[in-house]
Amino acid sequence: MLAVFLLPALLLYSVFIVYPLVTALDYSFFEWRGIRQTGFAGLGNYRDLFGVYPYDRQLWRAFGHNALFFAGTMLIQNTVGLLFALLLYRYGRGKRFLQAAFTTPYLVDPLVVGYLWSLLLNPTFGPVNSLLEAAGLDSWALPWLGDTRTALPIVIVVNAWQWVGFPMLLFSAALAGIPAEYHEAARVDGASAWQAFRRVTLPLLTPAIGVVSVLTFIGNFNAFGLVYAMAGSTGSPAGSTDVLGLLFYRVAFVEGGTEAIGRSSALAVLMFVFIFGVSLLASSYFRRRERRLL
Amino acid sequence: MKRRWIAGAIGVLAVALSACAPGGGASGQGGEAQGDKAGGDKVTLSLWSWRVEDVRAYEKILAKFEESHPKIHVEFKPFQATEYNNILATGLSGTAGPDVAQLRAYGGLQPLVEAGQLVPLDGKVEALSGFDAKLLEGAKGHKDGKIYGVPFAYQTLQVLYNKKLFGDNGVQPPATWDDMIAAAGKLKAAGITPFAVAAGPDATWTLPIVHEIFGNARYGSTKFRDALLSGEKKFTDPDFTASIKLLKDLEPYFPKDVVAVKIPDVQALFATGKAAMYPTGSFDLAPVLAANPSLEVGAFQVPPPPGSPVTTPVTPGWADGSFGVNAKSAHQAEALELVKWMATPEFGQLYASELKQLSAVPGVTPSDPLLAEMAKNYAANGAPYTLLVDFRYGQPNGDAVFRDEVQKMLVGQTDAKAVAESVQKGVEQWFKPGN
Repeated sequence: MLAVFLLPALLLYSVFIVYPLVTALDYSFFEWRGIRQTGFAGLGNYRDLFGVYPYDRQLWRAFGHNALFFAGTMLIQNTVGLLFALLLYRYGRGKRFLQAAFTTPYLVDPLVVGYLWSLLLNPTFGPVNSLLEAAGLDSWALPWLGDTRTALPIVIVVNAWQWVGFPMLLFSAALAGIPAEYHEAARVDGASAWQAFRRVTLPLLTPAIGVVSVLTFIGNFNAFGLVYAMAGSTGSPAGSTDVLGLLFYRVAFVEGGTEAIGRSSALAVLMFVFIFGVSLLASSYFRRRERRLL
Repeated sequence: MKRRWIAGAIGVLAVALSACAPGGGASGQGGEAQGDKAGGDKVTLSLWSWRVEDVRAYEKILAKFEESHPKIHVEFKPFQATEYNNILATGLSGTAGPDVAQLRAYGGLQPLVEAGQLVPLDGKVEALSGFDAKLLEGAKGHKDGKIYGVPFAYQTLQVLYNKKLFGDNGVQPPATWDDMIAAAGKLKAAGITPFAVAAGPDATWTLPIVHEIFGNARYGSTKFRDALLSGEKKFTDPDFTASIKLLKDLEPYFPKDVVAVKIPDVQALFATGKAAMYPTGSFDLAPVLAANPSLEVGAFQVPPPPGSPVTTPVTPGWADGSFGVNAKSAHQAEALELVKWMATPEFGQLYASELKQLSAVPGVTPSDPLLAEMAKNYAANGAPYTLLVDFRYGQPNGDAVFRDEVQKMLVGQTDAKAVAESVQKGVEQWFKPGN
């Protein structure tokens, strides 16, 4: 009887998740001429990704940028999200309104957010630099998205601007679940506010931190829309914002060579295996940490 | 709540399954069935294109075809240009694909040819023998040399200039490279951006174009291209390197922070009279004039830079694409009729006047005087845009490597020599000279 109820979900899962994944794996092992398979390639497509210039360099460069994207997001988006959650927890006034306000950028597609910010930051017509110049800060009016040193940090900040409400909501929920007695006990024992946070609150947030970290990791390593809108398919300028999603897009669609399907499938498989593997490891790590809390 | 979810899931599943079922290509078959009812044995052809913005023009053009071919109805179906390649490749493999399709040129055509999805037109469309050989290359299979489409348009590369700004600043269309640099200096001193060039996120594909406009003569034009193809020369040749360096030398005359500048920005700079010259393709004339209809625009070919092997100005160009017949089409005879008609001056003239583009059909003259001038220049001094024409047949594309590296050069991370070396290193992984 139970099987009957599971069947629809299993079918949906198979058709929409398992089938495309298996297809990509299958495609990645063949040689392609357009949409025609011409023979078994073994690991040939994978070797091409690591051996054919310039993919060999772009792959590692993009991977490095994804790692920076993740580190930057953890540092900016998730710490600010935690700070907002703590402030809202402590000073309850306007909580509902602020929560809604911080989460509104969710409703907008990353492509749109990226496009809007690239307009705001446009060095020729954009209002950000006009404002800076009007305020006498001419030296601050940089070509934000046109400088190899500022472009990736700007993308990270805009991404954080869009998603900061997400860790805030999760941390808020986790904070609400910590019994008030713990804080009282800490206060009675003479703990300072920082000590109470560091020794009581933070450890009890471990499950939430785990969830936020893993989801941030998955989101950042799959980043595409925002970066594409702000930096184009080549990760402009000079590849300083190139990420794996853009590399995949270029190999699969932009350059559109006869080998495109094989190589892009191989890259998709590598990305999936890496993201899936690290997520599993991270989840089990956080679960062990949680168990130690009990 | 849960029960409702399950019901919903089953509903979605049912839809999904019916979509997967064989014969699911309802749109194409439905269209034909309707056609049958309406006009007896009238045949409906479906024509696919990446030009969403041209729907009205094509309806007008195709109405003319239907006048002379009353038994054929053509349905124009455009798709988003950025998704077209995939939609077409998938469409051609199934039963609900097009009968006639707009095809990309050169390397963009190759995946469809190699997958055997198109009908070779050699001997079937006689008029093709009168087409310009350079333009036909864009519609040929790279290995078999067969023609798979009727070319519809070509693009030429030159510098557009603002006549009023030139007059106000006492500047003439330059006769020599030095004249051009002097003019650029004069305009810059007057607070005008001399060259509207973008190298921002959306504009990397225009960098090889800007390079062609300024550097084609410098690297040796057609002769150098032939030497590249035969293996006699490489991209690392000093002449090619010098042609890349021109872009860095000209950077002071580009907009400030050029790697952050986007295409709409430079179009606006030029259309609003803030920039005097716009090195670009013939395709940009219509959008610029749409942005400012009162703009007085002229065009000139860039005079050869000092040291050029070619001493007369050139107009680089390429075939934009072609119309070909789906090998799986159920109406091959009628589809062939349509592409045959697309090779006639009647179609060419309609295409040129409705879309303000340069028609590839021989003998068609554009009604717009500026386009006519570009066409004349191409006929007299035409040269291939070699990175696009010859080096898109493998991954990485020649121009994909080129644009990334040029952007690096503009931000100061690399120099012209290293750019040339990267291009050579990239293409020699798949390009075999002498074929």
